[in-house]
This record gives sequence, structure tokens and C-alpha cells, in this order.
Amino acid sequence: MGTYIAGRLAQMIPTLLLIITIVFLLVYIVGDPVSLMLGEHATPEQVATMREAMGLNDPLLVQYFNYLGSVLTGDFGDSYRYNQAALPLVLDRIPATLTLAIGAILLALVIAIPLGVWAATRRGGVVDSAVSSLSVLAKAMPNFWLGIMLILLFAVVLQWLPVSGSGSWAHLVLPVVALGTGTAAEITRLVRSSMVEILSQDYIRTARGKGLRQRVVVYKHALLNAFVPVTSITILQFSTLLGGALITEVVFSWPGLGQLLVNAVSMRDMAVVQAAVFVIAVMVLALSLISDLLFKAVDRRISLG
Amino acid sequence: MRNRSATLGAGLLALSLSACGGVPGTTSDNGSENGGEEESRTLVFAQSADPTTMDPQDARSTSAERVNRNIYSRLFRRDAEMELVEDLVIDYEQVDEQTWRFTITDEAVFHNGDPLTAADVEFSINRVITDDTLLEYVEFNQITSVEAIGDYEIELTTDGPMPTLINVLSKGGADIMPSEYIEENGIEGFIASPIGSGPYEFVEWRQDDRVVLTANEDYWGGEPQWDEVELRAIPENSTRVSELLTGGVDIAADVPPNDWDRIDDEDGSHMVFGDTTRVMLLIVRMTDGYITADPEIREAIDLAIDQGTITETLFEGNATPVRSRVPVGSFGANEELYDDFLYDPERAAELVAAADETPEVTLTASRGNYPFDGEVAEMIASYLEEVGFEVNLDIREGGSYSDMYSERNNEELFLIGLADGMLDASSPMVHYTPETAEGMTDYFSEEVIDLLNQAGRTLDEEERAQLYAEAQEIVAEDRPHIPLYVQPGAFGVSDGVDFTPRLDDNLYFDDILPND
Repeated sequence: MGTYIAGRLAQMIPTLLLIITIVFLLVYIVGDPVSLMLGEHATPEQVATMREAMGLNDPLLVQYFNYLGSVLTGDFGDSYRYNQAALPLVLDRIPATLTLAIGAILLALVIAIPLGVWAATRRGGVVDSAVSSLSVLAKAMPNFWLGIMLILLFAVVLQWLPVSGSGSWAHLVLPVVALGTGTAAEITRLVRSSMVEILSQDYIRTARGKGLRQRVVVYKHALLNAFVPVTSITILQFSTLLGGALITEVVFSWPGLGQLLVNAVSMRDMAVVQAAVFVIAVMVLALSLISDLLFKAVDRRISLG
Repeated sequence: MRNRSATLGAGLLALSLSACGGVPGTTSDNGSENGGEEESRTLVFAQSADPTTMDPQDARSTSAERVNRNIYSRLFRRDAEMELVEDLVIDYEQVDEQTWRFTITDEAVFHNGDPLTAADVEFSINRVITDDTLLEYVEFNQITSVEAIGDYEIELTTDGPMPTLINVLSKGGADIMPSEYIEENGIEGFIASPIGSGPYEFVEWRQDDRVVLTANEDYWGGEPQWDEVELRAIPENSTRVSELLTGGVDIAADVPPNDWDRIDDEDGSHMVFGDTTRVMLLIVRMTDGYITADPEIREAIDLAIDQGTITETLFEGNATPVRSRVPVGSFGANEELYDDFLYDPERAAELVAAADETPEVTLTASRGNYPFDGEVAEMIASYLEEVGFEVNLDIREGGSYSDMYSERNNEELFLIGLADGMLDASSPMVHYTPETAEGMTDYFSEEVIDLLNQAGRTLDEEERAQLYAEAQEIVAEDRPHIPLYVQPGAFGVSDGVDFTPRLDDNLYFDDILPND
């Protein structure tokens, strides 16, 4: 197990290097932030001086290796907007984003597992059709649109919950629902299809033939086996949620990594963009590793390596 | 396994909540709830952007200024009518063309109890005139020295006659910071926990969320209006408006036009409009080889555009057509060019018809940088086509648009909004000097240069204003810019507060009154 984990960690290095390189090149292509930094009254001389000072007039390769050297020491540069080191700025926002993502995953599981099982045990019936239709609808709704609709209904019309911001459990409800709905739909469909497949297998018929109660057959024998694909998709969905959180955080004014990154992109605060993408990449790779380790924990038949 | 996952998830969630400062059950962000109680009055103001720093000398953004105006005192300030009035200063004199002496009040104290003295003024002004990395430096670099010549007396020298000195000393870069506190805690410590001598004290800044201020009970200028003030950053327009409609905030800034009626129709809220210093205009390329080098073509463009319809239809009459880039309210503005436009499509068509061939122009604009900028560009394109122009409409995304402007790659027409942060014609008129015009408009007028040079040297305010007004008339005829309208400031306001927007877009919380 230790060797396997060490191997996977080693594999992350070239992947991260590739990501750093791609982000650097994208930033290079998009252009520099000098015009936005200096504002509308900047003279060409001021723009040129600032570009020189920031090393933006150096050849591409020189800029790349300078950047790479800094990144290897954990220095992504300073945010020109905040006048602070970019990496700590990004790391400070992770707890808020994780709060949303974990909340959304928990909500998705709480909704998806019972609904998926319910639909699978009533295959072809009204419940199954209703669950399938709702899943498609929930999956099709864009996060930001759902977020705005939730605000209008629950905050503006009914006034049950705050519109935006952070600081209390009440503030967490709407963004978690907006972010978790699509994931709930995805996991519901997966739980249903896994359960349908498992419930038709011989050992389930044997269990029923032995006179075991339906609840024991479904929840003990079938659902436990359905957890392998469910675990996989849940972990993968967590990565997707980090992406979804970008827009959700802006809609709900949630002070997380997403809002920081969206603002950084629009203001070309490239040090923050690069640090944020790097941190998200590390998180996704770590989640992938955790997913594999959880597979092994859930199903002993799976071998690692 | 399910139990284990749930426990792990709940644990992580709790950990994350505590890490992001969440305090379950608090509703302190609800302005109306608190605002309604007489014992504790809280004002909540929502803006579209968060301040980027708490360093008053390194923050040239409206979102930061709105905070700093209330934390700090300064030598002078602008009142609600944009008149320059004394703040800390109780007396001042101009010793000679380059030397000024100021006496400040001995009653001002910082929030930590330290008295505000001339040493703090010297420290603060000296920092902004010597550190060229500070964003406010460019406004102050004409000041050559500052010296405390007594406990409450300061002497300033400039590198020549500086008619804008008092104006400059009212800006954020002249916010007076506590020298002893900074010496003890370093500038980083100060920025993390800033201290001023204004009516409100800094409590906390949750980045991308809110800045919280509390009343300075010992404010030397009188009792503050509010017990607590929150400035929330809510970038999404619909969320900001929803917060206003639900009473979550008392004032929402930067309300987009499509929400104006919604706010007015709702009980408990209304829209308030005011002019800003931002004038939307067309930058016209007068470089040889461009068709717009021809003055008759520039005149045809100006006459073809119906600014009245643009301001009435898109902005519901809340924007004002103008013919000068200097907004009324700024020193030296030519009021005859305010609320005026020259729409005459017949004459424009005649001028176009007189051209050798169909004039072709490229009109560059952004969509979303300014309210309705894309729509305005489309309307202008159709007006121009109606009188015979062939128009290439080039709508760009924000970054590419900014690059085109800063690199001076603009074609015949470039739609932009230009503000006047100085509230003095000297700043916007700099666009008509050869150094600034080069490569953008390539405008050159010896008459205008002469007038601007005279205005830059004279300390007689009446004469200076007259010189700027004359220069604006010439520019309006030459048309290196074709001004369109003043962009309105649009605020959604709760009926619970009485709020009047300022021309400079700043906020003094004590000017906002509760409607009891």
C-alpha cells in the first residue's frame, strides 16, 4: 500500500508540471495585466516601465523558467490587486469552498441514495419514471440559474433564508442546494442503475429464496455492493463540484476560492489565477488517489498497483 | 461504511465552517433588522467589488475609497456639493508660489487614543510623495517636501505653482495615518488592522465578503450617525438587488438598468440617481490616413448620433447628454456644453454625401464594461449607417478591449467611459495635450495647448476656470473626442434611509440619514 501511494504521488509531479506549463502559456496568450493595473490614465511610458519591471518584456522561455523556478519554491508571485503573496491568499479561501463542496456532497448523498433505491425497487413504475424525470431535470439546470431561482423563491418571496453572504448555517443552505442538486441527480441515476443490475443477480434471488426480508435483501446485500460505483462517482463529483463552486460562490457572494478565481480572471490577476489552478489541480489529484484507496476499502477484491 | 462516511463528512464540514469564520445563528448582516432598532443602528451598503487593500495610499478604487473616507481624516475634504472644505486644517496660507503653511486642529485623536499631530501629517504625506510604488504617488509627485514646523503646523513645498494642491490634499493619498502606531507595528501590521481618526473605526475585513466598521465614540468631529456600518461586496447584480429587496442591505450600488423598475415597484425601496464624473465618449482617431482625420467626417459623426434618444430610451432619462469630457461639478467645467447635443441627421447626410467615397469606420466597444455599452455602440452604428457611413462594429471582450486602449491600437472610433477622479479640468483636459494624444487621437491644437499651459500656471481660480472653458469649446469643435452622455450613478435605496449620491461616488456615512 505504501509503495502504491508513493508511486501515485510521484506520478503527480509530471501532471502538475504539465498543468503549470499549460496555465503559464494560457496566461501568456491572454496578455498581461498592466493596462488593468494602471488604469485608463496610464501613459505608454508608464505601461512600458511597468512591463519591464514585471519582466514581461523577457523572451517567453526566460519568463517560463523564471516562473518555474519561483513555483518550485512555492512562490507564485504577488497578487497585484491585493498586494499579497498569491498562494496564501488562495489557501485562505479553501475552507470556505470545502464547506460548500462537502455540504453539497452530503446533501446529494442524503437525497440520492434513498431515491435511487426507491426507484430501483419499483423499476418501470410511476416512482421510477418520476425519479428519472426529476434527475434529468435537476441535471439539466445550470448552477447559476438554479441559484438565482432559489434566491428569488426562498429569500425574496418567502424570506425564509438569507440571500447571500456567509457566517451562519442559514447562509449555507441555498448555495449548498444550488451546488448539490446536479450531483444528487447524477448519483441518484447511478444508484438506481447499479441497484437494478444487482437486484437481478442470482445471489439476490438466492437471498430472497432463503426467505430474507426485502429490507435486508435491498439494504444489506444489494446496496452494499452498489457502493463501489457510487463511491467512485461521488469522489469524481467532488472534483466537479469544485468547478461548480466557482459560479455558485459568485451568485451567493460566498467568499471562497471560486469568487477569488473569477475575480482574478476578470482582472487578469494572473498570480492568483496560476496559484488557484495549481491548488485545484492538487486537490483533484489527491481526490483521485483517495478515490482509489476508498475502492480498496469498500471492495477487497480490487487490487492496487 | 455509510455511517463512517457521514461522520467523516460532518466532521470536515464542521471543521471547514469554523475555519471560515462561520458563527451559526448570527444575523448581524441583516441591516434592516438592526437598523430598525434605535439602540443599535447599523447601515449596510452593498457594492459590486471588494476593496483590494486597507492601505489608503495604495488604493485607487471606489470600493476602497468608500471605506477610507470614513476611517481617516485628512487636511481637506469635499462636501456633498463637491466644494473643498477644511477637515483637519483650521488655518492655512500660501507663503509664496511654491510654499504653503497649514495649521491643524489639536482636537483630533486616532482610534487608539494617540493625538494626531503635525508629525503624523509629515509622515503620511512624506510616504506618498517618496514611495513611487504607491498607486496614489502619481497624484502627489508635484509636492517636493513636507515638514512639521510645530506640533500642529506643517509646511509643504511644490515643484512650481500647483493650483490643484488643496484638491490633491483632499484625496485618499492624503489620508493621515498614525506614525507611532506604524513605527511600532510596521506598515503590514497597520494594513492588517488600520487605525485612523475618522468617525468610524475598523473592526474586520473578510475579503470578498464585507468590511465592518463601528462608530468612533471619541470622534473629534462630532457624534457618528451609525453604531455600525458594513460594506458588503456582492458582485452578482441580481443578488445585490435581492439583498436590497429583502432588507439585507440598506443601499445597493451599481444597480443595472433592467432592475430599476423592479426596485421602484417594490414597497420599501426606491431608486436614486446622480451624475458621476464618468463621461461616455467616442475617441476619434485623427491620424493622417484615417478617414476621421477629415473634420467634416468628424462633424458628420457627431451630428448623426441622437444622444437624446440614447439617454431617454436606454437610461430612462437618467443620463445627461454632454459635449465636453469635463463633467459639470469638476472645477473648470463648461456648463454650456452640459445637457446639450447636436443631432442633425440631414446635415450629417450632406457631409457624408460630399465625401469622395462612402466613408468606412470601425467602431470598437466592449459589452459589460459600462452599463449598456454594447447597446449604445449598436445604436451609434445604426445612426451612422442611416446617414451613409459604412460601419464595422467591433465589440470586444474586456481584456482585449483594455489592451487595444492601452496599446493605442484604436481604429476610427472607440467607445469608452472616462472619469475625472481629480474633479478638476486639469485632469480630463490632459487628453488634449500632444503627449497624451499621441498615438490615440493624434490631436494637436496650438490654441488648446496654450490655454492649458496658462491654466496650469495660474493660481487665480476665476482665470483658470475661464481658460479651461475656452479650451473645451475649441475641443468640442475639433472633436478628438465626441462626448455622448454622463454615466448615471444608480443606487437602490431602502425607504428606511435617506441617501443622496455624490458626484465623486464616495460615501460619508454620516451624510446618510436614517428615516425614523
